[in-house]
Amino acid sequence: MPAVTETYSLGVPVEVGKIDHELKKLWQESEGAVTRASLMNLAVYSEEQGSLDRNTQLMARITENHACRAIVIEADCNAESDRVDAWISAHCHVSRAGSKQVCSEQISFRLNGGCTTQLPNIVLSNLDSDLPLYLWWQHEFREPMDPQLWTWVDRVIYDSRPWQDFQAQMRLVESAQAEAKQRIVLCDLNWTRLDKVRFALAQFFDHPASHHRLDKISKLRIDFASGFRSTALLFVGWLAAQLNWRAEKTNGKNKLQFISSSGRKIDIEIRQRDGQPIHEVALTAADIEFVVTHAKCGDLLEVSRGKPGGKRIPQLMPAGKDDPVSLMSEELMRGGPHHVYLHAVGCVRDFL
Amino acid sequence: MNRAADQPEPNPLREGLSTRAVPQPCAIVIFGATGDLTHRKLVPALYNLAADGDLPPAVAIVGFARRKKSDEEFRRDLEEATRKLSRQVVRDEIWKTFAQSIFYHQSEFGDESGYKQLAKRLDEIDKDQGTRGNRLFYFAAAPDQFEPILKHLKAAGLNDTCKGSWVRVIVEKPFGTDLASARELNRIVRNSFAEEQTYRIDHFLGKETAQNILVLRFANAIFAPLWNTHYIDHVQITAAETLGVGGRAGYYERAGALRDMVQNHLLQLLCLVAMEPPTDLSADSIRDEKIKVVRSLRRWSRNEIAASVVRGQYAKGAIHGDPVLGYRQEENVNPDSQTDTFVALRLFIDNWRWADVPIYMRVGKRLPKSATEISIHFKKAPAVLFNKDLHDFNVLVIRIQPDEGISLRIHAKVPGTSFHIEPVKMDFHYGTSFGKASPEAYERLLLDAMSGDATLFARRDEVEQAWAFIDPIEQAWHAKKDVPELFFYPAGSWGPEAADDLLARDGRAWRRL
Repeated sequence: MPAVTETYSLGVPVEVGKIDHELKKLWQESEGAVTRASLMNLAVYSEEQGSLDRNTQLMARITENHACRAIVIEADCNAESDRVDAWISAHCHVSRAGSKQVCSEQISFRLNGGCTTQLPNIVLSNLDSDLPLYLWWQHEFREPMDPQLWTWVDRVIYDSRPWQDFQAQMRLVESAQAEAKQRIVLCDLNWTRLDKVRFALAQFFDHPASHHRLDKISKLRIDFASGFRSTALLFVGWLAAQLNWRAEKTNGKNKLQFISSSGRKIDIEIRQRDGQPIHEVALTAADIEFVVTHAKCGDLLEVSRGKPGGKRIPQLMPAGKDDPVSLMSEELMRGGPHHVYLHAVGCVRDFL
Repeated sequence: MNRAADQPEPNPLREGLSTRAVPQPCAIVIFGATGDLTHRKLVPALYNLAADGDLPPAVAIVGFARRKKSDEEFRRDLEEATRKLSRQVVRDEIWKTFAQSIFYHQSEFGDESGYKQLAKRLDEIDKDQGTRGNRLFYFAAAPDQFEPILKHLKAAGLNDTCKGSWVRVIVEKPFGTDLASARELNRIVRNSFAEEQTYRIDHFLGKETAQNILVLRFANAIFAPLWNTHYIDHVQITAAETLGVGGRAGYYERAGALRDMVQNHLLQLLCLVAMEPPTDLSADSIRDEKIKVVRSLRRWSRNEIAASVVRGQYAKGAIHGDPVLGYRQEENVNPDSQTDTFVALRLFIDNWRWADVPIYMRVGKRLPKSATEISIHFKKAPAVLFNKDLHDFNVLVIRIQPDEGISLRIHAKVPGTSFHIEPVKMDFHYGTSFGKASPEAYERLLLDAMSGDATLFARRDEVEQAWAFIDPIEQAWHAKKDVPELFFYPAGSWGPEAADDLLARDGRAWRRL
């Protein structure tokens, strides 16, 4: 039995029926030298081969800021025989105070065959009691959405960016949410990806003297990187939902027109270009252009406003990162319902 | 917390992005800009807010001080200090942008023309930086400079608000040295600024755990029924520090521990612990409840002061094994000084909830460790079954600093065949459970002032009521006869024995920290 240390390995193989027992042994062996911490159950489900190792590495980094019981699951639904393998391990980090090691425990599972029937039991029988369950679903959803599992989930986290059929996937998630009587909060990492850019654009309109410009928006341009068209559309959906725009028409794949509640037309162009997922947003309201663009150093946004060609004083703001650890950390920090997301999806559902 | 009356309608694009009032563009004018507070706390706090993206883009910082300095020199000084003292590493590209909004304005505090020039300069900054006429004046200068600064601000029209803009003033403690001087200071401030424009800063209230007291009490149903005289035996509040008077002797000789710590920080913490639930989270609702606590504090006669308040002064001793001087041997301290470096008090809040529950407070310099905490000691369970021989209470501890967190001591059976019971501790540490570092108190408070949220700032009547409670003690200590004794304690001890006796008389003891 290894001591409790920072690890990227799956840890100690254990019998599925003895996980609790083995976890207790693991902590006893540390003899009080470390502190076990947990604020949530974070279950990660993937059907990608090799995901167990990859997700273990992600968990090692996520637990630095989000103490949890991690339940990492890799499933091979096409395997011929049913089999479950399990491991336990711990991710330990020196606390901010620097005086002690703080550890989160991880239980890893490899499921072979009959995935949909094994999953609820695997998750439910290994939860740290009284803590919320966050389920990070790294695969496309499929029917049937097992109500036995979903009614226990507090937040389901997914990334809609690679979805082939957004509408079908969203229907599945929403039906699971309805089944769970709204208990589940839907957390789309593709939406989280937009947080910093949304924040940067929103702050232009904090002052009441700027509010009137929201009613004068006539043009919006969004530059996105290859593979992030849906992210750009979610951004459009956000503005439409918050400013009461409705979709009027599309002019080709990347040109849209919305109408404001007062009947004003808003021309929207989304352009693919090299760079960050949402590389630049330029919004024109009357004679003022508001620009949020990635600074050269990459993890900062440069925000500026002014008349085209006029003097501007750019400011820098954090841009966030697009890697899974950063997106998850951002998402786990937020809490609360995501009504704004659902409204945004509602506005651009037909384009996604 | 709620929006101030002068705060605008919400921005629809902010929905879901932030759960706090949004800070507005403004020019922050710091009086005493070359001083320690500006370099050690204010500018590092503002930099951290900028680096986290929490500052609005249009914020300008204008340092106002006597020394001759250019904008560039001022920026260089601040950069050096911020690189040393910021809680996060200073990034060149962020500092460069941040520094573009820092300016220096050289003037004597009493020079009227300096304020007229400041007004002009702020107008220019409004145009160039987009600060929209919003002004936040921060008084980081010595209190005796407040009056000339306020007078000249008014004369230069800098206290006036234009339509759609606001002017606010942040006043650092001490808010006077007694009730009369506090009233006078409030009068001076009120001559130039209305109460809703005045933000009296108490950095203890910006600390995460202090804010968490309200959450602990009012978001957890289990504590509400126990939080009263029926279940609480007594409360202890300790603010201990290992440091001596250091370079603050000049101020400390006039202030002492009672004025320096009890009048503001400790009474504020007591208010949060003892207040009734506010009707909502608006600044005035919370402050209305806090002030009721101070008003309900039992006042003492001269004789009762001697019995309920212990004052002490550190003599030579050792801290962490190193010998240290006694207070009277410190630089710039009167060798016959009667200044209190330690105070212990036994208070009562005469209201329905807290009747007959003693509140013990102690604060001191050169104590064995630095720690600020509040402990709620619950009454014993009936002395039948298990409790006949138990001497420990259930104790809920709220650690303000360091190692912010909450712990609860309960009794548990020691495993084995015999029936032996021992206290065990359930412990919550912020640093363990939440990896994210808490912002510094000044970050939170500056942001609140820019947002118009006065919840964590002291209101005029709070300050005056606190002095009304403190004054009789100070008067007794400075009377011509029957003066309560000043007890000496060796540096590195937990204060004079008389402080222990204060509790021992009631059959209690200070919690071991």
